[in-house]
Amino acid sequence: MTAAPLAPVNYSTAVDKVGAGPRIRTAVRAIIAIILTIIILIPVVWMGMTAFKSHPDAVSVPPVVFFQPSLESFVSLLTQRRQLTNDERAEFAARTDLTWADQLMLQRGQVIIGESNFRAQLINSIIIAGISTVFSVGFAVLAAYAFSRFHIPGKDDLLFFILSQRMLPAVVVTIPIFLMYKELGLHDTHFGLILLYTSFNLSFAVWLLKGFIDEIPREYEEAALVDGYTRLQAFRKIVLPQATTGIAATTVFSLIFSWNEYAFALMLTSERARTAPPSIPLVLGVGTIEWATIAAGSLAFLIPVVIVTFVLRKHLLRGVTFGAIRKG
Amino acid sequence: MFRPHLLGAGETQILSRCCVSQAVIQPVSGASQPVARRQLSDATIVRLFILPTIILLILMNIFPLIYSLFISFTEYSVISDAPPVWVGLQNYQRILSDPTFWHSFAVTGRFALLSVALQTVVGFGLALLLRSKFTGSGLITTLILVPMMLSPIVVATFWKLIFNPSYGILNPLLGFNNINTSPEWLGDPNLALWAIVIVDVWMWSPFVMLLCLAGLSAIPDYLYEAASIDRANWWFQFRRITLPQVMPLLLIAVLFRTIEAFKQFDLVMGLTGGGPGDVTETVSVQLYQLAFQGQFNTGMSSALAYIVLVVIIAISNLYIRALNRARGG
Amino acid sequence: MKKFSLLLALMAVLALMTGISVRAQDVTELTIWWAEWDPANYLDQLVDDYATETGITVNVVQTPWGSYFDRVAAEWAAQGTAFDMVVGDSQWIGQAVTQGHYVDLTEFMNSNGITETVTPATLQYYGEYPAGSGSYYAYPTEGDANGWAYRKDLFENPDEMAAFEAAYGYPLAVPTTWAQLRDIAEFFTREDEGLYGVGVYTQIDYDAITMGFQNVFFSFGGDWYDETFNTLGVVNTPDTVAALELYQELYSFAPPGTNNAFFAEMNDLFINGQAAMIMNYFAFFPALANPSINPFSEQTGYFSMPEGPTGLRYAALGGQGTSVNSYISDERKQASLDFLLWFAREDVQLKWAQLGGYTCNIAVLESEEFLAVAPYNAAFAETMTFVKDFSNIPEFGSLLEIVQRNLHAFVVGGEGEATAVMDTMAAEMDAVLVEAGYISE
Repeated sequence: MTAAPLAPVNYSTAVDKVGAGPRIRTAVRAIIAIILTIIILIPVVWMGMTAFKSHPDAVSVPPVVFFQPSLESFVSLLTQRRQLTNDERAEFAARTDLTWADQLMLQRGQVIIGESNFRAQLINSIIIAGISTVFSVGFAVLAAYAFSRFHIPGKDDLLFFILSQRMLPAVVVTIPIFLMYKELGLHDTHFGLILLYTSFNLSFAVWLLKGFIDEIPREYEEAALVDGYTRLQAFRKIVLPQATTGIAATTVFSLIFSWNEYAFALMLTSERARTAPPSIPLVLGVGTIEWATIAAGSLAFLIPVVIVTFVLRKHLLRGVTFGAIRKG
Repeated sequence: MFRPHLLGAGETQILSRCCVSQAVIQPVSGASQPVARRQLSDATIVRLFILPTIILLILMNIFPLIYSLFISFTEYSVISDAPPVWVGLQNYQRILSDPTFWHSFAVTGRFALLSVALQTVVGFGLALLLRSKFTGSGLITTLILVPMMLSPIVVATFWKLIFNPSYGILNPLLGFNNINTSPEWLGDPNLALWAIVIVDVWMWSPFVMLLCLAGLSAIPDYLYEAASIDRANWWFQFRRITLPQVMPLLLIAVLFRTIEAFKQFDLVMGLTGGGPGDVTETVSVQLYQLAFQGQFNTGMSSALAYIVLVVIIAISNLYIRALNRARGG
Repeated sequence: MKKFSLLLALMAVLALMTGISVRAQDVTELTIWWAEWDPANYLDQLVDDYATETGITVNVVQTPWGSYFDRVAAEWAAQGTAFDMVVGDSQWIGQAVTQGHYVDLTEFMNSNGITETVTPATLQYYGEYPAGSGSYYAYPTEGDANGWAYRKDLFENPDEMAAFEAAYGYPLAVPTTWAQLRDIAEFFTREDEGLYGVGVYTQIDYDAITMGFQNVFFSFGGDWYDETFNTLGVVNTPDTVAALELYQELYSFAPPGTNNAFFAEMNDLFINGQAAMIMNYFAFFPALANPSINPFSEQTGYFSMPEGPTGLRYAALGGQGTSVNSYISDERKQASLDFLLWFAREDVQLKWAQLGGYTCNIAVLESEEFLAVAPYNAAFAETMTFVKDFSNIPEFGSLLEIVQRNLHAFVVGGEGEATAVMDTMAAEMDAVLVEAGYISE
């Protein structure tokens, strides 16, 4: 409790006297931050615009900023289509009962025959990324607390073991994991991917959460223990609420990783448990990469994570409020 | 039993300001204690808390780790019928005596150094900008995180489009309007590595920013107040207060970014594929070519992976030492 | 070790709890794996007819091109049964056959006369291994090779024709030799107008720049090795050095930004009007014939590869044949053969071609109907008589990596000098072949 004897109240009045200075400084910071955000978002906006472009517009020289928006990409993202032979095409063109989507696809010589896998894959992604995030954050918060608070023999080695799970290049473990999953019947199951992503995220999550929990002073728990809390109660009622920033940050990072994971999702699933990332990046349409469809898919796939992050933003920004009496 | 909301957000704020532990003790003293029948010993708690993580990690990793380690000492192709043939250290010898390996390692090191350094500066800078809240700062923070939320393969695909001198948006934005003289980011041997660094920094600075932000908001105001009473200048405050207080979380961020930079694959493969020639051929690209791409040289690729592992372990140890010093200090 | 097996057992129990479906023994469905692209969609359409005729459903499962080989190889490693048939790339056949992943189809194809129905070149490159052995392991399914698309409006513009003839001394027309192609590329390269002569493959991953270069290399008398697997003096000859210099020159007539370009970029720079001619696989020409994608579709013409200085003419081969997985049950193997027998029927192949598949069936290729289906089909039918592939021996991956890296460094990176590059390439390939035991030295 090194810093506790300080009486900050005396100083905070001094801050109030400074008056307009900090407010102007904050305003300047805000303006710079907004400008930087706009710069950072240019590629994302460009991607968003591409989603509404026709193919010639997507690759025009020089790049076009104003164009006739088209929903073609979203239709081709969500539907399965069949190529029409020339005769069929003429026949379809003569029909009058076509929806706007049908007509859009007819220009490409295609007819919509059903829904694409995108929705099913999106649902798989939500299940797998969601559950594995909950698992990894849940396991990690327990482990991080134990590592932070207790004397554990070989603690540094155990922590390093956990960290080292992240170090072997993934390329070389894809085949052994594939073989193991085939052998154990975990191939193409939701459970298999959940297990894998949980273990991938754990090492990072444990380290990060330990970093946050280390910042929470032990004194409060100890006081609570003196007062008759059990360890578990102290953990639940005192440590967890203080660790929300860490938990929120870890949740966001874990979610982002499992949401976007590509290589293992491709190797370890075929149809039943396939998530969306393997299907988005290379939509080969009529003999060319369909920039617009890739953009549309990426955009649609981005939105859920943005929403989760936005919901958690308050916790992300709250900070470690007990830091006031940390050592040092 | 306990009152719900023992420590609501409001209370914790107060606690953080006055730092008096009575505040915690006070409500508890009134609560009736359940008998200790459900009280677990600390040792049990440690076991219960740590074992799920350790067991899961061992289960998932022991087979791949041992398998690859064994294979790294053999001549073996995973698509072949022939069983692995023990060759001892031959794979390691061959890799370490191969100049292309040293070249790719140098490329990887340069990439990791540049991109982690820039990410740290940019991420920290953004965090300093956003530390004091203003209307909409939550939204701004979320938006800055967007690059990180995209799939790396999609990022590479679109940045390749953006870098393209003919139909990309980057060169016109930078003021190059003649496509015949504007920089060819991914095809120019002098620019290609920088192009990958730019994308990596764009994508992962938000990661550093978020962790720094968490560290920054933990710094109590009175430290700065005390400093400003002492008329300490901005640089002194930054060096003596901000930096040391953020250090533990910043180092964790840098540690993980370094590990990831050494393994960076998707962006390099998607943007340049290691080209032009072998100018941007990182170890991970070389590893992929050995392990897949028609070669399926599983023995050599496993050996290369273990060399990478050893290097990453060595570097991580340096960081962890610095981390422990930052915490202990 | 005991603990380890215990852990594995534990995982197995966990896995069982999640439920594993057991497949019925009688074959009511078959699974074909292919890369994710339009021809696979056409196949998916075609097999509906098989379901109608026989009641057997055929699933066509697609994987993105960039990961397709990795995915199939992982399945081979596990000796898996996830697919009954695989439409495999022509280069894989050596690895797949020597390691026993494909069923021997020789007897099946000979006794049913299937070998007679497909063009000899496709049978040789997609089906046969080792070369010249008469043993077949795949049914040639999607024929493919490099060809050219060009802008007819530019080539047939009277002013351009007059200017070209004045400058080069012969009339502007579809090039029949590489020298002419070079001249035309140079002629149409007008940086100020944003027009460039040509688009050529340069992508460094896997095989693209090698495929593009091979068109020139083979036609200039080059080869990757001779009958005794000798590369020295075969890969690096004065003629092949000239071929490399020509390819680099063509790259200098290409639009900026084509430093890592493959089929998609080729089509894109044709669609945006930058290139007067592009090389590409025929499989990707449907995009150029489609007016909603290519604004120049009406003015787009197609031609096959020009000749080298001595009249040699080759086109780099793409395309795939369908093979049967050797790890499935005998019933499933038989069911797969039954399917292939149906697929090889002439009427089915005609339908396959009508949907957009590139058939290898001689009769269909020669039919008026086929030639009329698409504007590029005539050039395709011609091309399929002079195709040639990269090596398909099991070590092709190592050889390919050498060629890719050296070509890209020289053509795009501008490193080194052509003679030295070809010498290095030959020497590096020689080292691989010596180590693999093809040459004793």
